Amino acid sequence: MKNWRYIAYGAIAILAILFPLYSGLYIRQVAITILIYMALALSWDMLLRSGQLSFGTAGFFGLGSYAAVLLHLSSGMNPIVCILLGGVFAFIVALIVGVAVLRLRGMYFAITTLALASIFMIIVKNLPALTGGPAGKMLPSVIFAGDSSKMYWLALGIVFVTIAVSEIFQRTRIFFALTSIRDNELVAKSSGIDVFKYLVFAFAVTSALQGIIGGAYGEIYGFVSPEGSFNSNFLLLPLAMALLGGIHSTAGPIVGAVVLGVLGEYLKLKIPYGHHLVYGAIIVIVTLFMAKGIVGVVKARTRKLKKREVEQ
Amino acid sequence: MPLLAVAVMIALLAWKPYVLIQGLQRGGLYALIALPMALILGIVGIINLAHGEFMMLGAYFVYSVCVNTGLDPLVAMIIAFVAFFLIGAIVYLVTIKHVLKAPELNQLLLTFGIAMVLTELANLLWTSQARKLHLSYVYSSAEVGSLTFGTFGFIYPIAAVVVLVGLLLFLKYTRTGQAALAVGQNPRGAKMVGIDVNRTYLLIFSLSTAIIAAIGALFLTRHSIFPAVGSPYTMKSFCLIAMAGIGNLTGILWVGLGLGIAEALVLSFRGYGGWADLVFFVLLVAVIMVKSYRRKIA
Repeated sequence: MKNWRYIAYGAIAILAILFPLYSGLYIRQVAITILIYMALALSWDMLLRSGQLSFGTAGFFGLGSYAAVLLHLSSGMNPIVCILLGGVFAFIVALIVGVAVLRLRGMYFAITTLALASIFMIIVKNLPALTGGPAGKMLPSVIFAGDSSKMYWLALGIVFVTIAVSEIFQRTRIFFALTSIRDNELVAKSSGIDVFKYLVFAFAVTSALQGIIGGAYGEIYGFVSPEGSFNSNFLLLPLAMALLGGIHSTAGPIVGAVVLGVLGEYLKLKIPYGHHLVYGAIIVIVTLFMAKGIVGVVKARTRKLKKREVEQ
Repeated sequence: MPLLAVAVMIALLAWKPYVLIQGLQRGGLYALIALPMALILGIVGIINLAHGEFMMLGAYFVYSVCVNTGLDPLVAMIIAFVAFFLIGAIVYLVTIKHVLKAPELNQLLLTFGIAMVLTELANLLWTSQARKLHLSYVYSSAEVGSLTFGTFGFIYPIAAVVVLVGLLLFLKYTRTGQAALAVGQNPRGAKMVGIDVNRTYLLIFSLSTAIIAAIGALFLTRHSIFPAVGSPYTMKSFCLIAMAGIGNLTGILWVGLGLGIAEALVLSFRGYGGWADLVFFVLLVAVIMVKSYRRKIA
């Protein structure tokens, strides 16, 4: 039974890798966007597993984006290296910020991280010599000279890395540390978990992932701007995706990203203004009625079915 | 402390009088917007991340009423007050009520989702094009000595004082207000002495929504509006509340005015005006940090 599951995962992975071979340009573009949001959703969820609600995704995403593009422009290094360095930059900033911010809990933490994106944006906007100011900066050419298949594989590679990190978070002692912090911080502390250290670690790692994702986004579109790179969509969409799919798991945000990504693209064509209404509505509906998301509902169903089988 | 504030004000008046005037007008607006949010946070215990969005929606509502009927926004304000009292009640009954006992995380997510729904609703109904009413009286000005300045902006600090005094009187001298205060302090205790806690929550949430929508009308008189116009005010309002301390309504007025002046001061330096937006965030982070450390030590 267990082996079947891994074979299925492998099949999905191979299908995902081969995807550009049997899809058109438009579909491939949509897929790249979905993969980007998928990785963001997963990275956001990874910190949420410790009980800390961060609204800072867009901030570190934009930071990575800027770092990668500016490095690329000034040094002419390989774009992939620039993307990774974007992640390193986000990691360092998150480490410094995290040491201060992670003393906070609940709404204070959430709002401070929400402010982070604005702070980063204002700083970027007001350093025109370095960042191009409000107009932003443009790369002479996008990554891989615009080959959308390679761009797709880059995005997919980042998703695979994010999944791997997420699974490490789920299968090692990190899982027990983060879960016990979420359930009861006091108990976690008294059973010898260095709460602060684990939180800073999780915050920095997830921010680094967001920085890498942002870097890739910047390289793929060849463009950074304060309003574009720190856009609240990079917070809103991943949140809605992770919530819909089901939080506190690797599968949830992935399922949510696929479902909402496809639905969102369809709605964008139908309703050019205000199709994001759906994302907001999904956040509201899921928090009210479906706390465990799609994956949670499916799991509960199969468990029930199995129980019935056993009883019979 | 008050003496120091007065001294700073006099110094500013002598050095940069426009900063003081500008700052009072800005700060008044910030304090005004923060007051209803503080009321909800203090009594219902929910941090409403959709606060600025309700103001935005109120402003759009008033805009539509004014454009269609030719009413003055200051009159249409009353209609907005009544309409949003009902809207607030519906929002409370359908959503907020169900997360009151849920973890704080769900409350934050829910109101964040509501904020997004409201923004996109405005986008859907009015598109993202900026709207503005052209009113002649907002350009009224006064001359004092060699100074010429707009006087209409003082409506914000004045309205802030009116709302503040109104709320304080309501909480202190009416039966419902006293009950609300009791619920805010201890919901279980309030229930035990026979206060209908649920009805109090409903009333306070609706009232706050109504007030913020009415403030939207005042906001509309001087600013152009677009769907995202409200969201910075959510954060600024929270910033003021965190600085004043939850439950301290009067403090919000002082902190708001202080921050308004600080912002105006940064704005007055040519070439550095872009940094003015940072004032709030830096102070927000600083105050939250200091408070959290102090709590840890105590």
